[in-house]
Amino acid sequence: MSLLSFNNVGISGLAAAVPQKIINNYKHDLYFNKDDIQEVIDKIGVRERRFADDNTCSSDLCFAAAEKLINEMNIDRNEIDLLLFISQTPDYRMPATSVLLQNRLQLSTSTITFDISLGCSAFLYGLSVAYSMLTAGGIRKALVLDGETRSKVYSQKDRKTAFLFGDGGVAALIERGEQYSTSWFSLNSDGSRESLIKIPAGGYRKMSSCETVTEKVVDEHGNIRSEEQGYMNGADVFNFVIREVPRDFDRLIEFAGVERNSIDYFIFHQANSYINGFLARKLRLPEERIPTTIHKYGNTSSVSIPLTIVSELSGKLNGQKRILLSGFGVGLTWGTAIIHLNDCFIGDIVEV
Amino acid sequence: MLINSILNLITYNTMEEKLIEALAEALEMDRSTIKPDGVFRDYENYSSLTELSVLAMLDSEFGIEIEMKEFDSLKTVADLVRLITDKQKS
Repeated sequence: MSLLSFNNVGISGLAAAVPQKIINNYKHDLYFNKDDIQEVIDKIGVRERRFADDNTCSSDLCFAAAEKLINEMNIDRNEIDLLLFISQTPDYRMPATSVLLQNRLQLSTSTITFDISLGCSAFLYGLSVAYSMLTAGGIRKALVLDGETRSKVYSQKDRKTAFLFGDGGVAALIERGEQYSTSWFSLNSDGSRESLIKIPAGGYRKMSSCETVTEKVVDEHGNIRSEEQGYMNGADVFNFVIREVPRDFDRLIEFAGVERNSIDYFIFHQANSYINGFLARKLRLPEERIPTTIHKYGNTSSVSIPLTIVSELSGKLNGQKRILLSGFGVGLTWGTAIIHLNDCFIGDIVEV
Repeated sequence: MLINSILNLITYNTMEEKLIEALAEALEMDRSTIKPDGVFRDYENYSSLTELSVLAMLDSEFGIEIEMKEFDSLKTVADLVRLITDKQKS
């Protein structure tokens, strides 16, 4: 049972950055007519999302968010001993993007840096790593940077994914302190479902070639993508999520021994509004405690949980708060966390 | 034995009614157009989007948690009814 608990460590601040460019989905009729896309958009609930330009990477969005956080919280850069970069859209295959960010952010060369590649559940995994390393001692402050440019991953000619994904980056500062009480995590994986969300080529199993970058019609509906673009089997993922996410939710609530009523906000990965609405109903959660950003930022993969906190909970996290996070997706991996916050700083969203 | 068979038949018929009602709602179809021997994936309103509504309906209305491999093997409305009655028995 992969259940973890931590004391006296917590998120002291969060900031986020999104690209300036807004995609209005109902008008995004490059390859499909408006009537056809209306049905899709109504179901997934993504009215708008942000697209990074060709020159902007996940790391650039994270860098902007990190600068905002460090400056507004007046953080001494020398006290940041750990930098994690969470992404599946890094700058390069090598070196790790976290190392580039250490330099760009002018952090000490004694900073521990590494990348975490997991997708939609990764913010929870990243937090658990930061909490663990801070608990081990010797680290004063940890910076968790989480960014994705999923707009560059999925084909705009594949109706299954063309209207769903958006880009964003966040920065979270994690610190030790007696002001933080207990946080709990449940983290899970099922690699037998690896093919449900996948970019099959461009790694080292099937290396990049002329063939892998060639667009092809992939189904009877005329959807088009290359093997280096993302594929998603929405029905299988949906079916898995509606079964396993509530199960993990209940498991962590029981492990933590907390009352549901004591949880101030429930922040789910913004997968699409249909899944999220279903989960909320199945778990019988009060709507007013479930902040959502799917309508304005779309599915930003691992970024969606912290981006939703920054976007929707600014001014609402004064004093002590207990929030539940639920992430699920590619891998498949999924997890639930109940974390304690105490006067968590939230910066305004930066546009890049 | 006979009573059990009759009871099973009544349960089955009630379940069939309930499923057809729920399926009609999920697929936004008139319930009279849904027949037990209908191949539900062939219905005009069945798509990758409405499939989610069918899966959601099975879960929320009937408590059915099913692997997609099993779901994909079901063809007719009667197969769905059988799935529900079998799962609810076990």
